[in-house]
Amino acid sequence: MDGILGSVYQVVTAIILVYFFLINSLYLLFIFLSILKIFRYRNAMAYVSFKDIFQMPLVKPISIIAPAYNEEMGIIESTQSLLSLEYPLYEVIVVNDGSKDDTLKKLIKTFDLKKSKRVFRKMIETKPIKGIYISPSNPKLVVVDKVNGKKADAMNAGLNVSRYPLFCGIDSDSILEKESLLKMVRPFIEDPEKTVGAGGIVRLSNGCKVKSGQVVKVRLPRSPLARFQILEYLRAFLGGRIGLNLLKSTLIISGAFGVFRKDVALKCGGYRAASIGEDMDLVVRMRKYLHEKKIPFKLEFVPDPICWTEAPETLKSLSNQRNRWHRGLVETLYHSRKMLFNPRYGITGMFAMPFYLIFEMLGPIIEVMGYTIFTVLLIFGQYDQPFALLFFLLAVVFGILLSLLSILLEEYSARRYPRLKDIIIIIAYGLMENILYRQWLALVRARAFIDLALGKEEWGEMEKRGFAFDSQKQ
Amino acid sequence: MNTSLLIVTYSLIFLLGFSFLLFFYLIIRRIVVQHQENSFQKKYAEIEKDILDIVTFPDKNLAKKIAKKYRYYPYVLTRVLVNYIEQIEGLAREQLQKIFNIALKKKCLKDIHSKRQIKRLKATHLFVIFSDPSDMKHIVTLLNDKPIVKLVAITALSRIPSSQTLTYIFQSFVRDSIVNARVYINILFGLGSKIELHVRKYLHKSLSWEKLSLLIELVGAIPLRSLYQDILPFAEHPNKEIRIKVARALGHMRIPASLNILTNLSEDEAWEVSAQALKSLGKLGDIASLDVLSEALFSPFWHVRFNAGHGLASLGSTGMKQLKKIKRQKKDRFASDMATMVLDETILVGEA
Repeated sequence: MDGILGSVYQVVTAIILVYFFLINSLYLLFIFLSILKIFRYRNAMAYVSFKDIFQMPLVKPISIIAPAYNEEMGIIESTQSLLSLEYPLYEVIVVNDGSKDDTLKKLIKTFDLKKSKRVFRKMIETKPIKGIYISPSNPKLVVVDKVNGKKADAMNAGLNVSRYPLFCGIDSDSILEKESLLKMVRPFIEDPEKTVGAGGIVRLSNGCKVKSGQVVKVRLPRSPLARFQILEYLRAFLGGRIGLNLLKSTLIISGAFGVFRKDVALKCGGYRAASIGEDMDLVVRMRKYLHEKKIPFKLEFVPDPICWTEAPETLKSLSNQRNRWHRGLVETLYHSRKMLFNPRYGITGMFAMPFYLIFEMLGPIIEVMGYTIFTVLLIFGQYDQPFALLFFLLAVVFGILLSLLSILLEEYSARRYPRLKDIIIIIAYGLMENILYRQWLALVRARAFIDLALGKEEWGEMEKRGFAFDSQKQ
Repeated sequence: MNTSLLIVTYSLIFLLGFSFLLFFYLIIRRIVVQHQENSFQKKYAEIEKDILDIVTFPDKNLAKKIAKKYRYYPYVLTRVLVNYIEQIEGLAREQLQKIFNIALKKKCLKDIHSKRQIKRLKATHLFVIFSDPSDMKHIVTLLNDKPIVKLVAITALSRIPSSQTLTYIFQSFVRDSIVNARVYINILFGLGSKIELHVRKYLHKSLSWEKLSLLIELVGAIPLRSLYQDILPFAEHPNKEIRIKVARALGHMRIPASLNILTNLSEDEAWEVSAQALKSLGKLGDIASLDVLSEALFSPFWHVRFNAGHGLASLGSTGMKQLKKIKRQKKDRFASDMATMVLDETILVGEA
């Protein structure tokens, strides 16, 4: 290959190589930092009883906000789970975001809800609220029925109705472990002035046995797609996010499980209704506000409060979900582009946002570009055969190594999969994900750029099976 | 073979080797951990059986025997003791303490002087659970340790409530940062009225407003009613946060004589103070506050209206009648809406 084409090929290959080296080095660094944090946390918590928090006078009450859209399959179990949490004082606000199914009817029937004349401060504009329901038998429960907006709009409606100084955003198809709020609130007790948010670990409930709103038996799902995702969640939460947190670069506290200070969130205008990735968007705007006002702050990631959530099990649902996540990432970074490489925003502007831009946002493009070049050269027989093959193998082995390290983190932290067989299966899926699954995901994420450019806004439906489904099969 | 090919080949060999090692480590570790867990469960059940015996029939000699029998299993023994001691009181608890003293204390005392912070921390945590007045001199040495160890040491000291330990804790409270000071309040709260004299003394010292407000909060949270007169002067403190804390503390204390002070605070220039004072007036439940609470329902501030509404509801039938009256009036829609909501919530929850 000579001339301009040859030079282009060499430049692109060099970019891919450097990129490959940097991204993997960073992920390795995050994992080692995570191991450090998990060890430190595990030792610090030895012999600590979280129940002591019950007796502490300075524990702030929490409003749990769970937006629900067409969640009739799992809404009762997850609401029951939320109502049975161990925490001194909290309220559960389920926001029915204009569901077309029987979400509201089921809630009304199960919890004997009555329409309330509750008044609240409209601190953030939202789509109209049709009614607020309270349960005489469960005073902690409030159900808000509103006209359909997006998840961010539903969260804002919940924020308006909430009464407590901390709020916990949770997906209504998720289940929290009983002590999870007690564990999550520790950073707010230890440093209430600086701590503005805390995130916990999200795991997949597919395949697990759920009873009375609690996961009682952890098993692997039967669906191969869900099994691939187990590994992804381990890598993302135990590896990536804990490591990034140690570098003070947390930009994502999952919408499925995060606690925030309400006053700070409100000062930033709450969730941005137009955002696609509302969880990341809120954290980025909170950081922006706090940097601009020069207020010292902390965003903590606590390694053991666990939230169980249902993962998509069909290609279409998974593709919709990942496409939306990636559009959310691109849109949030674009919306806050002023912060990028801007020293005024400290580590957020100089490291966290550039990291997300270069490695998370552009990652799929570079990956797809690499595969495309490889395929084209393969077709034309123009590639350096041993080098390309070895490099591909190197990428695969590096991926496997990261997966193994994530499993090691799981073993050091919660060790929720009790059987050795489960660990071997997860490792096997770590090998298999390199064939087609990773490439397909890269394509799905890369397509998000096109969808965003075309102005695609819909969330995409996810087929819900509910927790009862998995429990019945045990 | 060119250089880049060599680099890739060696990297691949290294990563493959490392991955294989990690894979085998994971598998072997899991097998070992499972084996350890099984042994742990077995030993745990064995110790538990003996502990249940001693808990049921406390016997001085048996405690000694158990301690000697299991002293070579400190980890399992600690777990059993920790799990049982928190649920047991009286003579049986003393027996468990005795087992700890014979079998584990020596190691713990060694560990609190260890160079490794984690060892010190774990040992100090155990002193929180198995505190003994004779350990005070050892625990006090940890008050100059790193914050994480120091705060656990403070907790351990709080379990040995004597005038001397309280002096150590309060001295440390004054010296420490405001972030840690909050942890002290959580610890001191558990000591109840034992801290009364010390709190009185420190309320009259010149402390930062943050620490002062924490002490006032503590007075209300316990509550220490005998310190009523001591916190009253702070109702006129220039700092808004301190006035809020005074209003809250008075609400917790429920002393009828505080009606006038709370009424004055309900007219404070800061709405936050006013809202808190109204909430406390509601807790006081004195019918004399009816007019103040009714008037506050017409405040431009949501929180003030909210607390006034609930305050009226807590006055019983007279307050409910007043809420119904405000609900019917057309002059102020916000007051009417709030009254409607409070009535609605009170009736709905009352039905359950």
